[in-house]
Amino acid sequence: MDASTDRPGGPDLLDLPLPQPRECPFGPPPEMAGLRERTPVVRVKCPTGITAWLVTRYDDVRDVLGDAGRFSSRAGQAIHLMAHADPDRPVGDVEFSRMDGADYQRFRRIIGPEVSTAQRMAELRPMVQDLVDERLDALAAAGQAADFYGDFAVPVTTAAIGGLVGVPYEDRELFHNAAAVMFSGATSQADVLKVMRPLHEYLYKLVVTRRAEPADDSLSRIIARSEAGERPFTDVELVGICAALLVPGFDTTATVMAHGLLTLLAHPAELARLRADPSLIPSAVEEIVRFLGGAPGIVRQATRDTEIGGHPVAEGDYVVLAMQAADRDTGAFPDPDRLDVGRRPNNHLGFGYGTHQCFGQQTARLELTVTLETLLRRVPSLRLAVPLDDVPFKTGSIVYGPAEVPVTWDAVLPAGKAG
Amino acid sequence: MTGGGGGGPVRIGVDVDKCVASGMCAFVAPGVFGQREEDGVVVVLHRDPPEDQHEAVHEAAVRCPAQVIDVE
Repeated sequence: MDASTDRPGGPDLLDLPLPQPRECPFGPPPEMAGLRERTPVVRVKCPTGITAWLVTRYDDVRDVLGDAGRFSSRAGQAIHLMAHADPDRPVGDVEFSRMDGADYQRFRRIIGPEVSTAQRMAELRPMVQDLVDERLDALAAAGQAADFYGDFAVPVTTAAIGGLVGVPYEDRELFHNAAAVMFSGATSQADVLKVMRPLHEYLYKLVVTRRAEPADDSLSRIIARSEAGERPFTDVELVGICAALLVPGFDTTATVMAHGLLTLLAHPAELARLRADPSLIPSAVEEIVRFLGGAPGIVRQATRDTEIGGHPVAEGDYVVLAMQAADRDTGAFPDPDRLDVGRRPNNHLGFGYGTHQCFGQQTARLELTVTLETLLRRVPSLRLAVPLDDVPFKTGSIVYGPAEVPVTWDAVLPAGKAG
Repeated sequence: MTGGGGGGPVRIGVDVDKCVASGMCAFVAPGVFGQREEDGVVVVLHRDPPEDQHEAVHEAAVRCPAQVIDVE
């Protein structure tokens, strides 16, 4: 760690993560409200050892994330939580999450058409609908109870991102293992490399295969689009792009899917509103992402001496943007701690903001929307099988949410039955 | 927050060089914004959209993560 960019703060520094009591299963940590009110830019010590400014106000978080000139992504998005992510290591050739400006845009624009356009989402929708229906049929055939996270959300989101990229479901273990280590408390780059190597070898073979025989998948189209451009992507870059789609592309969505269902089941009046008026589903999805999204926060580094909301910040300082806390700012949202499935407008920061905003957000929206539509239509009796207080939460992963969501139902209606 | 609709006509400008193809504008205001097939970059389909689209246009400008949409 470079001491000049990481000034010591003193013995009374606030420690991240803040306590998340059992009584607040949806977050953010209760202390966030007081910080936002009284010390919206405050010095904190992160579990990885770095010190940083924790920023909790909506306007301030938007300002920092929206200004890549003043606040760079180079140190890494999660160096406050992932001990293996050394902020001082050189940026890898395909590590575009740490790139700024044109270098970053080159990657973003080759991935964008595969995961963001309305046309692509319309093409993916029947695939996602089939995955959701097939999973529900399988659960119905097995009984009247399941773990919604492990038995539904993880398999559906895994198959969706695998199907999008072009990786068969039976080969999911490689990217599941990589994600487990990447988002865990792993402390060494060596541990991460050990689990990434087999994935990279697999993806390299896939890239070579798709170059020779294009298929109807994103990898094949990315290769074709890249070859038509000015600076075609190398095989190594293509492997990196596939890994960046697959590794963060399932558990983040699965977790918010499971956490979102849990939130709705714990807010029966809002669930009843949705049931009565399914046209609210798109705004419910936005509200779930506002309510739960961005909980771990992300990191930027000041490129010059500057200010955040009038508070001086020095060149080299790290900043942790607490998006979930910002999305509960009364200055930005009326009654922000209330779940409101009809909330409009809802300019939340749950997917981040700025050029690095989640590039999988449209596919996440699609998966959440189809899942909610289908659950309301096919499993109207869906309910928690245990008291809310007994739902276990994940530990040892930076993707915060329930470890299991035990649910039960009376009947799963046939897929064809439109409601 | 969004400025809301109403008022006079709106004029839309976009800075395609800064666009990161997030799809946010086309998601929020699909009648007004589209995306290029080859790189997902924003295309304005309707430079002077009807009044019932104004609120969506303002929302698209606020939610664009790369701040490339300018509405007057």
